[in-house]
Amino acid sequence: MYYRRSNIAARIFDRQICTPAPGTSVHHARRFYENLVPSYTVYEVEFPDHSFRKFTDDGQYLVSFSRNHQELIVYRPRWLSFSCNDEDCDKHDLPAKARRFDSFFTQLYCIPLVSCNELICKDFFLYMESNKFGLFATSTAQIHDAPAVGGAVQGVPSIEKITFHLLRMEDGEILDKKIFSNDFVNLTHNMGVFLYDDLLAIVSLRYQTIHILQIRDSGNFVHVRAIGEFCREDDELFLNSNAQGMQLSNKNKQHQVPENHVENHMHQGQPNVGNSFLSGIKQRLLSFIFQGLWNEETDDTLRIQRLRNKFYFHFQDYVDLIIWKVQFLDRHHLLIKFGSVDGGVSRNADHHPAFVAVYNMDTTEIVSFYQNSADELYLLFEKFGDHFHVTSRNLMYMNFISSHSNNIHALEQLRSIKDKASNSSQFVKKMLASLPFSCQSQSPSPYFDQSLFRFDDKVTPHACFLVYFHCNDQMGLAMEKPIGHPLETDHINVVCLLLLELISATDRHRQSTDHPIKFILRNSPHTLKFKIKPGPEAGSMDGRAKKISSFLFHPFLPFALSIQQTLFLQPSVVNIHFRR
Amino acid sequence: MISGGGGRSSSSSWAPTTSVSASGKRIQREMVELNNDPPPHCSAGPKGDNLYHWIATIIGTPYQGGIFFLDIIFPTDYPFMPPQVVFKTRIYHCNVEPNGRVSMGILKDGWSPALTITKVLLAVRSILTNPDPYNAAVPGIAHLYLGDRAKHDDIAAEWTVRFAK
Repeated sequence: MYYRRSNIAARIFDRQICTPAPGTSVHHARRFYENLVPSYTVYEVEFPDHSFRKFTDDGQYLVSFSRNHQELIVYRPRWLSFSCNDEDCDKHDLPAKARRFDSFFTQLYCIPLVSCNELICKDFFLYMESNKFGLFATSTAQIHDAPAVGGAVQGVPSIEKITFHLLRMEDGEILDKKIFSNDFVNLTHNMGVFLYDDLLAIVSLRYQTIHILQIRDSGNFVHVRAIGEFCREDDELFLNSNAQGMQLSNKNKQHQVPENHVENHMHQGQPNVGNSFLSGIKQRLLSFIFQGLWNEETDDTLRIQRLRNKFYFHFQDYVDLIIWKVQFLDRHHLLIKFGSVDGGVSRNADHHPAFVAVYNMDTTEIVSFYQNSADELYLLFEKFGDHFHVTSRNLMYMNFISSHSNNIHALEQLRSIKDKASNSSQFVKKMLASLPFSCQSQSPSPYFDQSLFRFDDKVTPHACFLVYFHCNDQMGLAMEKPIGHPLETDHINVVCLLLLELISATDRHRQSTDHPIKFILRNSPHTLKFKIKPGPEAGSMDGRAKKISSFLFHPFLPFALSIQQTLFLQPSVVNIHFRR
Repeated sequence: MISGGGGRSSSSSWAPTTSVSASGKRIQREMVELNNDPPPHCSAGPKGDNLYHWIATIIGTPYQGGIFFLDIIFPTDYPFMPPQVVFKTRIYHCNVEPNGRVSMGILKDGWSPALTITKVLLAVRSILTNPDPYNAAVPGIAHLYLGDRAKHDDIAAEWTVRFAK
C-alpha cells in the first residue's frame, strides 16, 4: 500500500485495473495530487517589482499591479522548460535562467488603468470565468469627515470617484466602466462587491444602496436594479408618475437631519416633523419583524405588550441599521448583513451587534432575519456552509474547496474548537462574522484540499495572531498585540475558522515566520510531502523584523508563488515553488 | 400651556415641569388603556424610552393588506394640543399629505382633550376605509376617488404592494 501511494507509476497501473466506486472517480483522480506536489523551491527569483494579486481561477492569468498603483500587468503562467545533455538530469541544478521570473511567466500586456488622481485598488479583483472578463477598481483618496449630504449616511467616509473597469483578459481591452461619485464602496478584499454568474452586486455604504448590475456577454454593464430607497426597479418611476398633483417633494431623502430636529425642538410646542419615509428595504425589514412578532401571539393584550417591548422600543435601532455587506445565495436571493454605522466602517466589526437577512430581490420579500448570535443560523452555517459559498459552476475543481460542510477533517476541527470554546454565544458570533462571504476569496488549489493534505496545524502564538487578524479582515500591520497569550480565548477559538494557521486557501497576507510550512499527507502514510518556505533560503538577516507573506497558488498546477515583504520598504522576496 | 387651545407658546421655550409631567402621566395612562383594550388591527408603543414619541402600526387595511408604520409625536402640552401623526410608510390617500402627515379634523381644530391615542388610531384606521375627499390634503387623489373609484382603488393597491409590504 505504501509503495502504491508514493509511486505515481504504480498508481497509474492501479487506475488501469481498478474501477473506483461509482461517483468517486474525480476524487480518485485528485489523489494524484498527493504525488505531484510543488516540492522544489527556487529562492529569490529575479522578478519585476509589482504587487502580485492572484491567479485567475481558471489558471490562465496572473494578475499584478505596478508599484505606483497605476498599471495593470497580466502574465500567462507557463512551465519552465530546459534541456540537459547528460543522462541523469535530476542530479543537475536547474540552469541559471530558472531564477528568472520570465522563465515561468510571459507578460501579455501592461496597460494604464487610471486617469487623473485615481489609483488602482490592489486588494480588489474579480474574475468572470465564463467570459474571461476581469473586474478591476480604481479610486481617488478617501475623505473621512465627509459631510452627509443628499441622503448619505453620517459617519461613512466618501470617495470622490470610484471606477469599476471591465476588461477582456485576453488582450486587456477595457470594455466598459461604471463610475460611482462621492460614494463609498468597501473594496478591501472584494468586500463590497459580489459577482455571481453574470450578476454583480455593489454595495454603496454611503447611500445604502445595493446596485445590481448584469455583465453582458458583449462586455457591457447593464443596470438591473438598485435596492435600498426602493425595492423594485420601477418604483421610483411609478412614484413620480403618480405624483402629478401630489407635488412630491424630494426632501424625504434627507431623513437624518429632520429627525434630530424633532427631538431638539420638542419643547417648543410645535415639533417640526421630518417628512421621512422608511426606505424600501427598511419597510420590508420592519414589516417582516413586525409580522413575526404579531403572529407569535394570539392574545391581543399580550401581543401588544410583546410588540411594545420587542418592536417599538427598538424601532429606532432597526431604522438606524445600515447595510454592511451582501452576497448572492442564488440568482434571486441576497444575504444581507445589517449593522450599526460604526461597525460598517471600522475594521473590527465583530464587536458590534449585527443581523443577517435573506432577501428575495424578485418578490422584494425578506425571507428570514437573524441576529448574528442566533444558534439557529449557526446550525445552518455548520451543516450547510457550502450553500453560502457560491462559486463559478463551470470549473469542476471549484467544488473542491474544503469547508466544514464538505470535509470531515475541517468539521472535526470546527467541532473541537466549539467544544473548547468557553463562551458559546461568543463562538457563534465569531463564526457568523464571516457571513456574508467575500467573493472569490478562496483558492481552489488542491494543496488546500483537506482530504488530501493537512498543513502545519501546530497552534503557536504566531498562529493566534494570524487568526486574530484574519477575523478582523485586516492586514497584518494593524495587529499589534502582545505575544504570549497563545490561548487567549476568543482569538484562539477561531483558529480553525478557515483552516487557518500559517497558510490557508483564503487569500490574505499573513505574518510569516522563518519556519517552512509543512504539507502532510492526510491519508496513510501521513508523511511530510512538501514544504513551502517564503523568504530567502537562509532565513532573513534580521529575525525580528516583522514580515508579511502572501501565497499565490495556481488553481490546479503544482505551482505556487510566495511573496515575503518586510515592513520597511525593502524589496520583497519572491520564491517559486513547483514540481521539478 | 394653561388652558387648551392657547397653549402653543414658542416664545417661552421652558415649559413648566409640572405641565410636562402632567402630560407624561396622561400619556402613560393612555398607554395602559391601549394595552388593556387594543383596537383591532392597530398597535402602538413608545419608541425607545421617549414617552412623547410613539410608533404605531396599522395592518390589514382595504389597501391590499399592507403594514403601515406611523410616527406619533405628542406635544409637551398634550392633551391640550393634538398629537402629530405621520405615515412612515408611503401611502396613496387623499387625507395624507405628500410628506406623510395625516390631515384630519380631529388632529387640527377638531381636537378635544377628551380624545385619546386609541381613538386617534381608530380614526386613522377609519379614514383608510373611508377617505374624506371633501377635506382632502391631496386634491388630485380626492378627485380621482370621487370620479373613478375603481381606478383610485387600483392605484392605492399598487402603492401598497410596492411600498407597504
